[in-house]
Formats: sequence, C-alpha cells, structure tokens
Amino acid sequence: MLYKRRFQSVLFKVIIILLAVIFMIPIFYAMSSSFKTNAEIYSYPPTFLPKVFSVEGYQYIFQSLNFLRVLYNTLFVSIIATVITVTISIMAGYAIAKGNFKGKKMISNLMIMMVFVSIGVTLVPVFIIIKEMNLLNNLWGIILPAAFTPTGTFISIQYMKGISDEFIESAKIDGATEWQIFSRIIFPLSYPLAAVLTIFSFTWRWGDFILPLIVINSSNLYTMQLGLATTQGQYLISWNAIMAYSVLSIAPPLILFLIFQKLFMRGITAGGLKF
Amino acid sequence: MLGESNNVLKRKKFDIIGNRFVFLIPSFIFFTVFAFIPLIVVVVISFFSWNLLGPMKFVGIENFIDMFTDANFWGTLMVTLKFEAMVVPITFVLSLVLALLLYKEGKFSSVFRAFFYWPYMAPAVVSGTIWAWLFSTNTGLINSILMKLGLSPISWLQGGLTALLVISLTQVWGMAGFMMMIFITGLEQIPMEFEEAASIDGANKLQIFRHITWPLLKGTSIIVLILSIAYSWNNFTLMYVMTTGGPGYETTITSLYIYQLAFTQFRIGYAAAVSVITILISIGIAMVAMKTGRWEV
Repeated sequence: MLYKRRFQSVLFKVIIILLAVIFMIPIFYAMSSSFKTNAEIYSYPPTFLPKVFSVEGYQYIFQSLNFLRVLYNTLFVSIIATVITVTISIMAGYAIAKGNFKGKKMISNLMIMMVFVSIGVTLVPVFIIIKEMNLLNNLWGIILPAAFTPTGTFISIQYMKGISDEFIESAKIDGATEWQIFSRIIFPLSYPLAAVLTIFSFTWRWGDFILPLIVINSSNLYTMQLGLATTQGQYLISWNAIMAYSVLSIAPPLILFLIFQKLFMRGITAGGLKF
Repeated sequence: MLGESNNVLKRKKFDIIGNRFVFLIPSFIFFTVFAFIPLIVVVVISFFSWNLLGPMKFVGIENFIDMFTDANFWGTLMVTLKFEAMVVPITFVLSLVLALLLYKEGKFSSVFRAFFYWPYMAPAVVSGTIWAWLFSTNTGLINSILMKLGLSPISWLQGGLTALLVISLTQVWGMAGFMMMIFITGLEQIPMEFEEAASIDGANKLQIFRHITWPLLKGTSIIVLILSIAYSWNNFTLMYVMTTGGPGYETTITSLYIYQLAFTQFRIGYAAAVSVITILISIGIAMVAMKTGRWEV
C-alpha cells in the first residue's frame, strides 16, 4: 500500500516534469536561438544550445529598428493603462459588491458580458470613436479604449464580496465618511487584489495587438507587438533577430510576475479567480 | 408599529450598505464610451455603404442580404467553430489534469505551477511567431525532428487543416496555465475531509475523482469552458501572425475577416454588418454562459 502510494507520487512527478519540459521548449528554444549566429540558425540539424554565443540578433534590433523608442512606447502604454485599470476596477468592484443603487444588476451584467464582445468584433466602431476623438496615431488611442476590462471588473467584484461588511459597519458607526471607508479600510485590504489586477492588466496591455494595429500608423509610435509583427513582413530580417525581439517581448511581464509571484498567487487563491 | 421599526431597520441597513454609485462612475464612463456606444454605432453603420473617406450612403439592409450569399462569411464562421472545437476540449482536459497534479500545496507544485503559467504571459504575437517558426517548413525544429526520424517534412502552415491545428496548439499552450489556476482555486475550495473519508472507506484515486471531486468541480468547469470559448472566439492575433488567414480563407476566423473587410478592402458598412451578426452570436453565447455559470453578480 505504502509502496504503491510512493510509486504513484513518483509517477505523477515524472508526468509533471515531462509536461513542463514540453511547455518550456518553445520559450527555451527561442531564447537559445536568439543567441545563435545567423549561419548556425539555418544549419541542419538544428542545435539546441548555441555552439557560438552571439549577440548579433540583439545588436541588429537595437541598431536598426528604433528599438528603444518602441520599448518606451510599450512601457508608457502598459503602465498608464494598468494604473487606470487597477484604480477603476477596484472602485467598480467595491461599488457593485458593497453598494446599493438602481440598475446595479443590469450594469454589472452588461459589463461582464463584454468578455465575449472584445475588440476583435468591435474594431470598426471603436476605430470610428477613436477617430472622432482625434486619437488616431496617438498612444492615448490605445490606452483609453483598453482601460475598462470585463475580467478585471469581475475579479474585483468577487474579491470585494469576500470582505466582511462588519469592517464597513464599524467604521460607519465611528463616523467615517464614504471616502474614508474606501481609502482607509477597503483599499488597504485590497493589496492582493491590486497585485492580481496589476499583473493581469500589464500582461494584457503589453501583449495588445489588434488595437495598436488599427490605431497606430507611424513606426515611431509602434508598440513591441506591432513592431514584431510588421518587421517580419517588411524587412529581410533573420530569425535570430526575430527571436531576440520575441525574448525581449516576453521579458517585462515575466519579470513583473517573478517579483510579485507570492502576492499574486495569494491574491488568486484569496478570491481573485474564485468564480 | 411594526412598519415603523421595519423602516428604521431598512434605513439603518441602507446607511451601512450605502449608495456608492459614485465609485462606479470612472469605470462606467470607460465602459460606456468604448464598449457600449460602439454597439450602437456598429448597428447604425451596418445600414450604410462607406469607404471611410467618401460620404456615407444609406443602403438599408443590403449589407445583410449580401452577407447571406457571401460564401467567405459562412466559411469564416465555420473556421471559427472548427478552431473552438479544437481549442476548447484540449484546453479543458489539459488544464484539469495539470490542476489535479499540482493543487496540493508544496514547494514542488508551486515551482511547477509557475512554469505552466508562464506561457500565458507571452504576448500572442510572440507565441505565434515562435510556434510558426517551430513548425516552419524549411527551418523548423519539428520538421528537423521528423527528418531525423526518417519521415518526410510536412508543410504545416501551408495546409488548411494542419495550419489550424498548429494555431490551436499555440492557443492551448498560451491558455492552459491560466485555466489550470482557475481549476486549482476550485479544487482548493473542496473540503479535504470528503476525500479523506472516502479514502478511509477504501475508495481509490479514480473513484474519489469520479464521485467526489468531479461533481463538486462542476461550477469551476463551466467557468473554464466559458472563458476558453470567450478568449479564443474573437482574437485573431495568432492567425494574423502565423498564416495571415491563409491558405485562402482556411484559417480566417470571422473577426479576422471583419478586419480585412474594414482595413484592407475599406468596405466599412459591410464589415459593420458582419460585426453585428458576430456580436449577436457572441451575446447569445454570453447569455447562455452567464445563465449556466451563475455569473450574475
């Protein structure tokens, strides 16, 4: 019995490790290829680790593709949009979970329904609205339309429902104003939620492609994703440079995740993804 | 007397709950301008013929009539369904298996959870680029392995069905870790005592899963299904990057078709009409999903 159990647990671990290796191959192979020379990349059979360590691909990106400007644009968009999203989602979650106003149910259901009606199908009218607001070919034109997120709102509502009414009740009895209740009681209790929303929102905005594709025209306003997608078509660019671009494109959200991993995982299990 | 005290109680309750609409206003403005108003605008435009630069011409329901005879439109709808049919079941099974293997707390599982979660953080353009390269005909890793094994290379992304399969795998790869986290959260809500009791009664792991875990996981399963459908329904980034919808229209999902109509053919009115139908289908799915998933808040 004990022997069987131990065998089972070892078997499970082996399965997990195998699956993890398969999952990691694309990222690992992209990373390793980004440090290969152009000649090695096109040689057969392909090598798993670079034979000659080279930064040729990275050099090309930084020298020929206006990369620092693109990096700045993407950071600007992702950070500002994330700040807006986190702020408005926490407030909205509080309003819906702990508020009592007319039409609450209808508004919140409409908001959450939008998870199915994303930019992919509303790009024509969204484009027209952005155009009317004079935000075409402007970084704000990709920040503002993405600030409201249905998933973020939903996660926030679920988290706020988990906060006990008693905190609010006793503050109310002590004579706290509505704003004081939010800023001194609710907000400090929402750090794990804020961590979850920050990581999600930053990851989403960093990876946005469809919105920049229709809004941005000039290459000095490109974001990383737009840059990566269009350079592949336009230039005679080699694979090590494309892989270098890809690696640099995964790095920021990954670093953010590694920094906040503990808080993020706690936030998720504390109700962030409790549906 | 009774009514009066009820009123006092009600007022007190109201004081504690508060109105708090004011906290919803910022979110509500963004929602209205960029999510709700577009739904009205798109319906209006769908009755016009417009190339974005010239004047708009009212054509009534002509765009909708055109759509019903447009084989490409029906084709892209079929592609969307095929894509969902490949992505959703694989994602569901894979993320459930991963969650079952990793939901018990511990150093090992927390490290490996992160590994599976990582691909979710890769932007779709990046994962599309990497996977397209892995499966490219001449320099791809997969074909090199096939050749090493003495098999002939396959033109993965040049064939309709194989291309859709590769795109689906890329989508699954990006999504499974996220869905795994949702399953893990669901599993953690199941009280340990149930499993322990069954285990003492002599139930094996499979029986425990079949009769205890699975029924209690129903709500979570529905959420995972809903989100997997939603996240792959409208996002054409992978197709745009990996195949640009080709060969022909064989990997063009409806949202990519809308993009092509609007921004390469400049048939804005017609693109809007296709959007209206797609949005109606999306809202239909959303209503069913929200009902079955008890998603109302």
